[in-house]
Amino acid sequence: MSEQRMYPGMSPDEKTTFAPYSAFDIPADLRELTGRYDVESMALRVRNFRYAEEWLMMMLGGWIATIPELPVKTGLGKVIWECAQAADVLGLRLPELRCGKKAMDASQSANDAFSDFIKSVTEPERPDLTIEKLAGVIDVLMPHQVDVYEQTMRETDQICDAPTIELLEDIVRKRRRHIKWGQEVLDRLCDTDALRERRRVRVEQLNAELMKSGGVTGTLAEDRGVLN
Amino acid sequence: MKRFIQHEELARDSRFVRQDNAQSTVLAAMPDDVDTVVSMFEQFSEMIEESVRGTSAEPLFEAYGPGFALTILNEPLDPDAPQGLTRLLLRMHGIFVGEMQALEGAARSLFDFPDAPWEFKMNMARQCWDEARHVQIFEKLLIHLGGHVGMFPESTFLFECACSEDPAMRVAGVNRGLEGLACDVFRDMIKYAEKTGDEKMRQAVDYVLADELTHVRFGSEWVREFTKGDPEYHKRTQDYRRTVDKQFSFGGARSDRPDAAIPIAWDDRLEAGFTEEELKELAELSGGGPSRETLREAADILRDRYFAKRDAKAAARTEGAQS
Repeated sequence: MSEQRMYPGMSPDEKTTFAPYSAFDIPADLRELTGRYDVESMALRVRNFRYAEEWLMMMLGGWIATIPELPVKTGLGKVIWECAQAADVLGLRLPELRCGKKAMDASQSANDAFSDFIKSVTEPERPDLTIEKLAGVIDVLMPHQVDVYEQTMRETDQICDAPTIELLEDIVRKRRRHIKWGQEVLDRLCDTDALRERRRVRVEQLNAELMKSGGVTGTLAEDRGVLN
Repeated sequence: MKRFIQHEELARDSRFVRQDNAQSTVLAAMPDDVDTVVSMFEQFSEMIEESVRGTSAEPLFEAYGPGFALTILNEPLDPDAPQGLTRLLLRMHGIFVGEMQALEGAARSLFDFPDAPWEFKMNMARQCWDEARHVQIFEKLLIHLGGHVGMFPESTFLFECACSEDPAMRVAGVNRGLEGLACDVFRDMIKYAEKTGDEKMRQAVDYVLADELTHVRFGSEWVREFTKGDPEYHKRTQDYRRTVDKQFSFGGARSDRPDAAIPIAWDDRLEAGFTEEELKELAELSGGGPSRETLREAADILRDRYFAKRDAKAAARTEGAQS
């Protein structure tokens, strides 16, 4: 009996007899190499996402001193740190998307209308406006971020762009926790019809502004077309 | 939202009462002279009485007069001393509001300096989470000791002194001045908890102290980075830190003197990145206030005068009622 070949040689009859399976094929990977975004457009999306995360971190930082409710002050401390971490990992992805090493802190608003929307969210300042502050972030901006991040995860190439998916998965998991916490706080704060109305009006006004801007990527209208 | 806020604008719920920061400023500038200390405190007597009304400090005022702060701030914590628990709670409440102001200072640094380097923002964001946990920790410790939020007036002196509108000075004030003071106070609290066998307090404060070392390191690194290549700016920042350190020494209560209520935590500060030279300088500038003997003597005079005035008022009231 001839000895089993452990390594291929130079000619066809010198192949090994190992079956063509590897750990990567079990179970079979049926995903297609397809995705809606190429490298450049994903890099732009990541810069857009980073812009919103960085501003979210900064505006919450500005608000802490102006919010009288102690559990809200302390609760926002952790949200700020997790927004900073989100912006940081998004920045670290940029050089991997051919943006250069210096691009790590590159944030970019999709358009002027989205910057204006962020300014509107940031606007409330007085200590009696905790509802307006939180409603803008918890009821409008954060749910929008979750929607867009999840859509991006679904539509990008599952194999080629897996690192973006992985980091967005982590951000979404934490962001859902922020929303849950924030909504509990808002439900508690808005304990009369008049206060619930204040929350509703604020949400309605900011949602309209968000839609007009096209959202964090500026592409809400066309994204909806794709989804339909 | 505007950039840079004043200490009066720090938002609080209905449990809190403010204390005029002038008292802390005066305390920081007192000379080692009994008559001057007495006259300075008498000047603020009404203001002090007003600020403690309805709080847990009111009995202290009743017992010691306007100089009660001299017996609180400038005496080491001692569980067996008269009013020992009240003094402990007063210190714990002071730490609690100090942590809240440190949270607000770090958080404002994120918004006030939008063009700062990303790594700076990351450090400040991390500090926000740490300080938020510290607020929770000291609220729980306050309750553990039988106290509650808002039981004493809050001085926003720490925020006022430390929160400069210049980024290098902000980190020098908040991260080196305020957090350096925190190192001293927390080491002292750990010693107190060891002495009283309070393991819950000892362990919690030990964790907080570990965080503070990191925050001082942030400060040391960012002062260096912000003032790199500009010796004049670096000097101004160091001068600012000295001023803050002097103010945060409360007339020698925090110093390296043998009679200090809060000794300088040399080992912790060295680990946090302060240099031997800076610590020697701190020891020198913080030790210049009135001695404990001076303060005790002044406190006795203030108490006697307060009692005499109170008795005279009561006698006048009785006389008026009789006539």
